[in-house]
Amino acid sequence: MKSKVYAALIGGLVLLGAAMPVWGHHSFAAAYDMTKAITVEGTIVQVRLTNPHSWFFLDVKNAATGQLDRWAFEAGTPSGMISNGFKKDEIKAGTVVTIRGFHAKDPSQNAGMLNQLTTADGKTYGMFGPQEGTSGR
Amino acid sequence: MKRVLFACVIVVAIALSSFTAVINGQRGAAPAAPAAATPPAEPAPRLADGHPDLSGVWWGGADVGSNLRGARGGGGARGGARGAAPPPPNFTALYQPAAAEGAKKLADKDDPTLRCIPTAFGTLNVSLYDVGAVGQIVATPKFVVMMQETFHGYRIIPTDGRPPRDNVPPSYRGDSVGKWEGDVFVVDTRNFSDDTWMWAEGRVSPHSDALRIVERYHRVDKNTLEIEATVHDPKMLTGPWTVPKQTLVLAPFDQIMPLICSGTETKGLMDAAAKQSAPAQQ
Repeated sequence: MKSKVYAALIGGLVLLGAAMPVWGHHSFAAAYDMTKAITVEGTIVQVRLTNPHSWFFLDVKNAATGQLDRWAFEAGTPSGMISNGFKKDEIKAGTVVTIRGFHAKDPSQNAGMLNQLTTADGKTYGMFGPQEGTSGR
Repeated sequence: MKRVLFACVIVVAIALSSFTAVINGQRGAAPAAPAAATPPAEPAPRLADGHPDLSGVWWGGADVGSNLRGARGGGGARGGARGAAPPPPNFTALYQPAAAEGAKKLADKDDPTLRCIPTAFGTLNVSLYDVGAVGQIVATPKFVVMMQETFHGYRIIPTDGRPPRDNVPPSYRGDSVGKWEGDVFVVDTRNFSDDTWMWAEGRVSPHSDALRIVERYHRVDKNTLEIEATVHDPKMLTGPWTVPKQTLVLAPFDQIMPLICSGTETKGLMDAAAKQSAPAQQ
């Protein structure tokens, strides 16, 4: 039993390590709870390619209230995303996406660190945009 | 007897086979294809006055978070260190006791770059990059202009060996003067404000207004720029910090981007997180 627990623990740590960004302008662990994985589905309102990090804003339907909540997810640097081939108009307002990430440490905030974004047609992006491909510049 | 003889034959065959393999291994079982000759590097271009032209977009071979990172070598060892590996000698390792105590009172959330304030030096120990991993140099005989992409900063460096100015206020990136020593461009930067850090990414690294950075830029060939630097801060350090030599390569594009910085969301989350983890007030 113990070995299973250890295996699960190690597996979890490995997964967490794989999910952590290699680079960042600040320590993501200081702002986000890396044990609190979240998945939200909503409609993109704005993609802001800014420093120190890019942001994805989306409206998410609150199952309890039926209202739309505005969520914000922090991603990588714009230069890194663009270098990976991300285009400035690649994900337009109105695009339905599913974002997996980690919730802000402050539970009152509708905010998180973006780990993976998937569009309705199945295209996936990581924190620094396209996860494969050649340089976009 | 037949069995013994058969066994001997097998042993000899194995030994012979091994010996042959060793011989083949030493000589090469098949003639190796001749290694492709590396073409000699093209020489560094030169300005009209004969000095090397430092112009170009320079990086370590890939950008922050790039899928290409690691594909090429090049400058970019990060300042500071985390984890169990012993950190290389660096700025904060040379703190005087009072400076080290002062740094202990700071944390990730205090990183000035969260408010879009640049570093005094650079997270990758390359001042040309500042916070990012790419920078552009535009060189003329009179001035060398160094520009950063991430926070859109710049340094305008006279090349005529003039002394530092005494009539400009302190600034985040200091005030630079330059001169040529043979083919090496020496940049002396002083007059820093004391409200930035040496590095970003939450690496606590405050400095004083006595900070002085002397850099030596050497374009060794068309595609390679070597940078050596010595950092002085007599108010904070026990002695000068000799920065490991950084080797940059010419990027495959000739223009950096005019990116903006807007760090309000990040800063807000960091502050809120700090309050969450702070002990309850009595």
